Amino acid sequence: MSAPILTARDLSVHLGGKSRTFARPVAPVRAVDGVDLELRDGEILGLVGESGCGKTTLGRTLLGQQRETGGEIRLRGRLVSGLAPREARRARASIGYVHQDPGAALDPWWSIGATLHEGMRIGGVADRVDRERRIAEMLRAVGLDPSVQRRYPHELSGGQLRRIGLARVLVLRPEVVILDEPTSGLDLSVQATVLRLFRDLRAAYGLTYLFISHDLSVVRLMCERVAVMYLGRVVELAPTAEIFARPQHPYTRALIGAAPRLDPAGALAPPTLAGDPPSATRLPTGCRFRTRCVLAAPACAEADPRLEPAGPDHEVACLRWRDGR
Amino acid sequence: MTAPLLSVEDLSLSIRTPEGEARVLDRVSLDLQPGALLGLVGESGCGKSTLVKTVLGVLPPAARATGGRILLDGRDLLRLPQAVLAREVRGRRLGFIPQDPALALNPMFTVGTQLLEIWRWHAPEGEDRGRAAGRARILSLFRRVQIPDAEAALDRHPHQFSGGQRQRVLIAAALLCRPALLVADEPTTALDVTTQQQILSLLGELAAEYGLSVLFVTHDFGVVSAICTHVAVMYAGQMVEAGTKADVLGAPCHPYTAALLACHPDRMAELAGIPGAVPSPLTPPAGCRFHPRCDVAEAGCQARPAGLTPQPDGRGVGCIRFDPARPAA
Amino acid sequence: MPLALRRLLTDPSALLGLGILLVMLVCAVAGEQLVPYPEDAFDAKPWQRLEPPSAEFWFGTDGLGRDVFSRTIMGARVALMIALSVVVAAMLVGVPLGLLAGYHGGWLSEVVMRVTDVFQAVPQLVLALAFAAVMRPSVSSAMLALALTYWPFFCRIVYGETRRVKSGLFVDALQAQGAATGRILFLHVLPNVAPAIIVRATIGMGVTILVAATLGFLGMGAAPPTPEWGLMVAEARKDLPEGWWQSLFPGLAILLAVLGFNLVGDAVRDIADPRLRRSR
Repeated sequence: MSAPILTARDLSVHLGGKSRTFARPVAPVRAVDGVDLELRDGEILGLVGESGCGKTTLGRTLLGQQRETGGEIRLRGRLVSGLAPREARRARASIGYVHQDPGAALDPWWSIGATLHEGMRIGGVADRVDRERRIAEMLRAVGLDPSVQRRYPHELSGGQLRRIGLARVLVLRPEVVILDEPTSGLDLSVQATVLRLFRDLRAAYGLTYLFISHDLSVVRLMCERVAVMYLGRVVELAPTAEIFARPQHPYTRALIGAAPRLDPAGALAPPTLAGDPPSATRLPTGCRFRTRCVLAAPACAEADPRLEPAGPDHEVACLRWRDGR
Repeated sequence: MTAPLLSVEDLSLSIRTPEGEARVLDRVSLDLQPGALLGLVGESGCGKSTLVKTVLGVLPPAARATGGRILLDGRDLLRLPQAVLAREVRGRRLGFIPQDPALALNPMFTVGTQLLEIWRWHAPEGEDRGRAAGRARILSLFRRVQIPDAEAALDRHPHQFSGGQRQRVLIAAALLCRPALLVADEPTTALDVTTQQQILSLLGELAAEYGLSVLFVTHDFGVVSAICTHVAVMYAGQMVEAGTKADVLGAPCHPYTAALLACHPDRMAELAGIPGAVPSPLTPPAGCRFHPRCDVAEAGCQARPAGLTPQPDGRGVGCIRFDPARPAA
Repeated sequence: MPLALRRLLTDPSALLGLGILLVMLVCAVAGEQLVPYPEDAFDAKPWQRLEPPSAEFWFGTDGLGRDVFSRTIMGARVALMIALSVVVAAMLVGVPLGLLAGYHGGWLSEVVMRVTDVFQAVPQLVLALAFAAVMRPSVSSAMLALALTYWPFFCRIVYGETRRVKSGLFVDALQAQGAATGRILFLHVLPNVAPAIIVRATIGMGVTILVAATLGFLGMGAAPPTPEWGLMVAEARKDLPEGWWQSLFPGLAILLAVLGFNLVGDAVRDIADPRLRRSR
């Protein structure tokens, strides 16, 4: 097991929420609510969960773009939390973030080259010749011709924009790259080449990825470990093969059971989970999944379970995981 | 074999653009048998949405069908006047479930009002078009699609439903006037996996219960595996392969189908895409439009007219290199 | 921007507008060289009062015997000068304020937006009249009054556009890179807001010419003998209806100038879209 490069302890992020003069106070959204997570050097950690579970907020908080409400974040053992956004970004310069929609993350008025140069200038690479060399090298590494620098975002295809989004982050030589839904909206054939690129670049530059995705098939293919989030909390964390073979948390089981698989003999399965998740402004008492859980017992309304060991390198946050097998 | 409910025959379609004439559909054929759930799959730009719009008769003014027929109940939809299409076909014979349930309902009106409006215009022959009858029909459907508290749901506005519930409302709307054919355009793409599973399972049940035929447009082979009985694969405006789910997903015959399935993360041995890009419909390659990217292409591919060659086992394959004795993958 | 230019040159109404503005610009720059009687801008010639249009005086002469054609052509300079300086001054105040208020939000945006509310609650003309009334009538006081009342329009537009652009993902990406606020604001947000500013400015030039003429007509703008169109129409009143040419031609000049700016403004709105930019 390799050393952790990025760790979060009891991290929480509460969004919005304020007291108002003439109205009832607005309850905050507990987007991230007590997350423990560590990213190990060189791994691809998958972060899965349904929309609104807080996985994007968690990614942005680790990046430093969103300020944490509580808990701590360490980068290579150094404490980097508790800082104002600008300082937080400076302390975490070795973390890069690739947006879900890399096309929209580019200024439409700026050519690709200008955007790449700008990112490096902000990152402190003052020498223009040096920047040009690194940009050309990185564009080739992501499979694009350096002449693409003269183009504008609207002239490029979805696959090309993903590559630009990666190159933009990688020219800054990060150690950790947070990929937010890196394949959403891509066609299968393009997705395959982009996934290949992620793997090749990790090998070439010694990267560590936090791979945020809702596509379990892709996560299963790409990641070494998987963390499952539900309503702002990591509920299960295990190596990929282990979690798909022996999911312990009832939510993980429902999620894996619901994910469609390519299977010529496939048939309709009855729904594994009924209803919609409760609102993140008013979480249930005790375990937050108990309102939809098949294993829920009275005790689940009392205690809020934390991650506990449930096998080799396998952690689960459930009071009754032993009863579900 | 019984006569198909919906039959698209050699449909070609062009769209005028400032850059020239885009040949978006090239001699596309498709048969949908009664009771079948046909998955129409393909990557973006393959023409599956255009095909659906043509069947629904909601093409943009710049589009023009240049050949072929679309037969529903023995009538050619391309030759029916818009008024007849709107009154007698859409809604009544043909229900539509859109991709994004958030955009398909008017936020200003309650869902009850909007569904009653559909009933007033499209109620089947011989049924009471009145409010009371409509309301009763909507209520029974709301209960059937498992909308909790159906009575109160009628008086809610669209934003008061979750995404999954809104999609249930739209399924009820599509089924309201007892259509024989349901066209669903990526109905679960905007939903989470557990909600997607609920909706797919509901759609499957309803199709069996009412004997519906479903044309199910999707890009997700996992969804096709779960719900469809048949699959048709499109590439760059041409139909390349059609057959039962087990045949097409299990033993694809067209090189494109095989290559696309090999890109699926559940199938992928090594991570490799399909080299090249989908051609522009303004300047499509001659003959089989896949030949510039095809591993097994030969000179004759440029001369092969679009269309499926029927095989003895009932499937259709659009490739001259296909040898029935030896599947491509 | 070859494609944008091509769009502009194939749009007949844009071409008409451009043509009008070009003629106006030439008149403004080379007025004295073009007109038959450049000294008529200021000097009265009582012996040739109220001559109707003829080969000698194309637009006739006014009540003081000055050539209306010469004065109308030379009025272009005054009109353009007023329009340009008012719009530029209003932009210099309104654009930065709108950018800052839109980007930062909070109390700053509250203060700025409430001030613009106050200004926009009263019609611009009335407000400009009030400002002009407390100053000595002259071209520069008219300009000052117009600039003081026109900046809220820019501020509002820039504020709204900034709010829209700011929520875009690329601003988020820049913040994630650690870009300074000034860089984001002036190098990224401003260019994205620019099309709206350009459109507003172009149409605003037309509006300003009209309001300036109104001020001149009401005696709160340019003072005689400045060849200002509004003032010329006002001076023509005492000789109506016989001396119709005195008011008709400066009136037509106002109409054409406003039309030109509006046509060009509409065309710019259509082409000021970054998606029309091509790398080659």
